Amino acid sequence: MTLFKGQLAPANQVHDFHPPVGPCGLYWVVPVAEGGVTFSNDGRSAVLQMKGIEIIDQPKWPQFKAEAIPARMDLRIVWKATNEKFSYDDPQKQFRVDGFKAVAQLEASVEVPSIDFSWKSDPLETSTANFAIIGDEVNGKYYTP
Amino acid sequence: MKKEFSSFNFEFSRRRFLISGSILAAASALQLPNRADAMGKRDEDEKEPFVYDGSNYPFPIPWLDKNGSHNQPAGPTMEPSHIYHFKGKVARCADFRGMGTDNKGNRLAFGNPTTDNDIMQGEYYTGRTAQNGTFAHI
Repeated sequence: MTLFKGQLAPANQVHDFHPPVGPCGLYWVVPVAEGGVTFSNDGRSAVLQMKGIEIIDQPKWPQFKAEAIPARMDLRIVWKATNEKFSYDDPQKQFRVDGFKAVAQLEASVEVPSIDFSWKSDPLETSTANFAIIGDEVNGKYYTP
Repeated sequence: MKKEFSSFNFEFSRRRFLISGSILAAASALQLPNRADAMGKRDEDEKEPFVYDGSNYPFPIPWLDKNGSHNQPAGPTMEPSHIYHFKGKVARCADFRGMGTDNKGNRLAFGNPTTDNDIMQGEYYTGRTAQNGTFAHI
């Protein structure tokens, strides 16, 4: 999550919050405790809700060796499928996804205790995402052309 | 054989997942000498348990982006999952627009393509066995 003072432009970036890259190479990925993710039975909506995620603030990311400050985040994201189906199959990279284009909204709060900084987003309903999908995927050994 | 992922699973605890990379990186950067090796003898008690079948960590997508990382930008032709050898439910989103307020009353916007998230819930194959888990790209 990137914060900006002014317009959304790299020159105005003041914070960038994310988990560290995992030792196995997973990029900004964290395991989610039971109950943190809920998909509806029909698979057309999902909620991610996490509290106290241990992250870092790298205001100068993506600069190489940008300073990283320990931080915490609470995050809630809601996906709701539209009626527009979405499907993509890439035999070369061995993945296939089938689902729907979606509407996604986000609310979050962050704390960076060492610099006495905290921030809280406006309510979830006020946010928009220009890209969102929800569905099922297979890749790697589970992929069949 | 399937293994159920749990946040309380010692083999893959959240804290361990997050901090082990930092510790490895810090130790590597400082080139800390192994105490047992420096003494010319390895202390049996300090040995890490040998992992016969590989790590239980999920396997990242092998395709590299232009920055040489395993990051996957979001988009209609891009793979939603950050985990390879995976089958399950995914939800992906990016390029948010939103506002918030800091503790000094400043209004700060959030968003751009760099505010991207996804969730992956299902089965992944690593350590020579199928595992189940839920993960989020934050």
